[in-house]
This record gives sequence, structure tokens and C-alpha cells, in this order.
Amino acid sequence: MWQLMKLELRKAKLGWYIRGAIIANLLIACFFVVFMGFIETMEGEVPFTSIDEAFIVIGALVRATFIIFASVLIVRIIIDEYKNKTISILFTYPIQRKKIFAAKLGIIGFLTFFVTLLTNIFVAFVFLAFNAKYHFVQGDVTLDLLVNQGLSMITFAIAIAGTSFIPLYFGMKKKSVPATIISSIFIVFLISSHNPVVSIASIVYIPLTLAIIGVYIAYVSIRNIEKVDV
Amino acid sequence: MTNILTTHNLTKTIQGVEIISNVNMSIRKGEIYGFLGPNGAGKTTIMKMVMNLMKPTDGEIEIFGQKVTPSSYDILKRMGSMIEYPIFYEKLTAKENLELHCEYMGFHHKKEIPLVLEKVKLHEAMNKVVKNFSLGMKQRLGIARAIITKPELLILDEPINGLDPVGIKEIRDLFIGLNQDYGITMLISSHILKEIEQIADTIGVIHKGKLTSENSMEKIQSQYTDYIEIATNSQKKACFVLEDKLQITNYKVVEDKYIRIFDTHTPLSVVSKTLILNNIEIESIYQKQASLEEYFFDHV
Repeated sequence: MWQLMKLELRKAKLGWYIRGAIIANLLIACFFVVFMGFIETMEGEVPFTSIDEAFIVIGALVRATFIIFASVLIVRIIIDEYKNKTISILFTYPIQRKKIFAAKLGIIGFLTFFVTLLTNIFVAFVFLAFNAKYHFVQGDVTLDLLVNQGLSMITFAIAIAGTSFIPLYFGMKKKSVPATIISSIFIVFLISSHNPVVSIASIVYIPLTLAIIGVYIAYVSIRNIEKVDV
Repeated sequence: MTNILTTHNLTKTIQGVEIISNVNMSIRKGEIYGFLGPNGAGKTTIMKMVMNLMKPTDGEIEIFGQKVTPSSYDILKRMGSMIEYPIFYEKLTAKENLELHCEYMGFHHKKEIPLVLEKVKLHEAMNKVVKNFSLGMKQRLGIARAIITKPELLILDEPINGLDPVGIKEIRDLFIGLNQDYGITMLISSHILKEIEQIADTIGVIHKGKLTSENSMEKIQSQYTDYIEIATNSQKKACFVLEDKLQITNYKVVEDKYIRIFDTHTPLSVVSKTLILNNIEIESIYQKQASLEEYFFDHV
């Protein structure tokens, strides 16, 4: 399986993904610092009531970004193989189609999980560092808070890795690039909304449920792959 | 000789339309099987079913003595193919495409890559991205990919499409070499009947999804021998002269104007001279080279 994943990486050439992820990291971190500093100076009030709330918004922003990134990965690694008809070459190899697909989905899931988690940690770290100096948001950073936030980030990252498979369902229907990307944007709206009264972004059960749906969709898309004509 | 590929009542229906109907074909080990048929006859569909890309609706395929099922992956290791338009990872170079192919096939002799590219005359473009290749170059690379693992069975769909006359000859020689030196069995489809005629041992003709004939090239050649065709208004008189003066009895009267002489021992010049000396007006006379083309048109 590892070997198949390596071959997928060689084909997809994911330099763009790494570069994109780095740029996204910097942009999200900058946006956060500028956003908080700007609002505080202009309006004289802090945008967030607590460090916890700031973490929710950071998490929501990071997850929104990488769900869309994941849909681009689905396009590059799966849909493009159909669009360019290279799938008809791939399926003449003495390898089970299921395994080929599992390798593809594995890359999408792992990358989305790691990059979401690392970005979340990075942006949180930048936020805490600036907050320690400028005190945008009041509150103590305790070990307890860090452990809780860390665990929540991991849970959310797992949930997002699963959720990121949902656009596959729409994309595979007609092997369509727009359907894949647009469905991912739709999911972002579904899971990332946040306001002080109702915060869907803070409810981990929503992405966790979607993750189960996503994994089920991935399973369904692989289940019949052996019998499908190419 | 044993069969390497056999189909039994192979049938494929797509959206209620039967596009392949009860095809029974057999390819013997070590032969080159020429697969002929008009566009849309079903050649590519059969080839796709052989490569397990498409699944039969009915009937079955047997390759290397094994029945092909959706999970027959092992047999693919012993096969090479190029079906429809040659497709590659366009952003990768020719060499990278072949490296990937070898990895997926579990073939670890990487030294073969430059050698096979040299065989198809693409070694100079080895490190160029495929995106910039012409159709002819892609066709050559597709052939290189199909043959690099020295498969026992090669499935080639229109392999000489897009090649210039020099390229066609090179590839023809390559196929003959692979067949003779390595005993590779080939199923080759082509529209260029002259090419198939030169290399095939057996000809299968498919028309509207049905295999209308399957014969050895030898048999076809013996059936479709050369003849001399004479066009004359004095048909009866001419026949008399042929029998009386030239002792030719192996001839056939076609319509009310033509005579075909299958006795090829008598030269054309002698026939024409004798007829003229006997006051028979000849509108035209020529030696007809029987070809696969006629066989093809008789079966579609």
C-alpha cells in the first residue's frame, strides 16, 4: 500500500499543495493578527471574548481552508485520472482497483489530517505569542487549556479528514471538477459558521457525523469499482 | 498449437443495445492475429473486455487457460496493451511514464527503459514531457510501454495510426521481431489492411458486433488467388478461344462482359496476343492482385 501511495505522489506532483499550505498558514496567521489588532484600535473592543472563542474561530478558518484544499486533491488524484482517461491505463495493471483507490484516498485523508492539524497548531501558536505581548484577549493560558485545545484540534483534524471525502460523491457522479469543488465549499458553510450566539464551528459532532458519512462515501465509491466498465 | 486466448459467446450490452454478439474467437500461442472491422464494429470493446477494463454481459473469455473474472489481476502481468488513443501522464517525461508503468507492473529491470525507447526511435526525446509529443511520438511511446515487460500477449488497437511510412515500416519490423524472437502473441487491429496482410497469421473480421469470419492468412491467400480479368463484348467467342487455343479451362464468366482466368501459368501477354489474333476485341485486360481488402469487403 505504501508503495502504491508513493507512486500516486509521483504522478500527482504535490509541490503545489505544500506551497499552497505554507501560503495558507501565513495568510491565516497574518489575517488573525491584523484582524484583531485592527478591530481593537478602530473600535476599541476585542473581537473575541475569550481565548477559547479565538481558538474556535482559528479552528473553523483552518478547517474551511483545508476542506477546499482536499477537494482540489480529490480532483488532482482521482477525477483527473478519469478526465484524462489515464484510469484506463491504471486499471490494466495487475493490482486490485480497490487497492489503487485506497492508496489515493489514503493520501487525501492523511494529508488533510496532518496539514489541518499542523496549520491549526501554527496559527494558534502565532495567536498566543501575539496575545502574550499585546493582550488582545484576556485570559490565562494554562496547561489545562493547552491540553484541551490540543485534543480538540486532533479530534477536529480526524473529523475533517473524513469529511473531506464527501465531495468525492458529487465529483464521481459525473467525473466533474466543479461538482467536487462546489460541494466542498457547501460543506465549509455547513460546518464553519460561528457567531457568539450559535457556534456550529464549536460542535465537534457535526464534522464527526460528516466524517462518518465521508468514510461511508469513500467505501461506497470503492465497493463497486471492480465491476465498473472503464 | 494451443490457444492463448479464446472467447465463448462473448456478448456485451450497453444501455440495452447489444454491441458485441456471441463472439467466438481463438488466438493461438505465438501467432499474430489481425483484427479487422469498420469503425464502431466492436474491436475496441472486445479488446477492452480482454484487458478486463470492461466486463462481458454474457459469455466468457479465457486467457492463458484461465477464465477471466473481474478479479483476474494476475493475468494482466503477462499482458501488454495499447487501446484506443495512446494515453499518458502528460506532465511527466517519456522516461518517467515508463518508470511508473514498470513499477505498477512489478517489473524491475529499469535498464530496459532506454533500450525500448531506442527500439521505437524515441531515445532522444526520453527526457521530454509527453505533453509536447506529436501523435506519432505518442504512438511509439505507447508501443514501448506495451512491449517493455516482454509480455506473452500483446493487445494493440490501431498501433500504426499517426505514423509516417518510415515509422510504419519500423514498427512492422519491430512487431515481426518481437513475434519471432520472443514468441510474443499479438492481437492487432488496424484499418491499414496492407499492413495486417504483411504480418498476420490469422485474420478475424468483425462487423456490427459479430465475428463474421476467422481464417488463417494462408487459407485466405489460397481462396483469393490472382487472376487475369478480360473485358470483352465477345464473351462466348473469347471463351472458345481460351479453351481451344490456350487449353485454359480454369476461368469464370462474370456478368456478360468479363472473364476471369485463374490459370496463372499463362502470361497476360500470351492471352492478349492470342485473343487479338483471333479477332476478339478487348476493352481491357489486366492482372488482378487479390488482396486482404477483397476478403475484408466480402465479410462486412
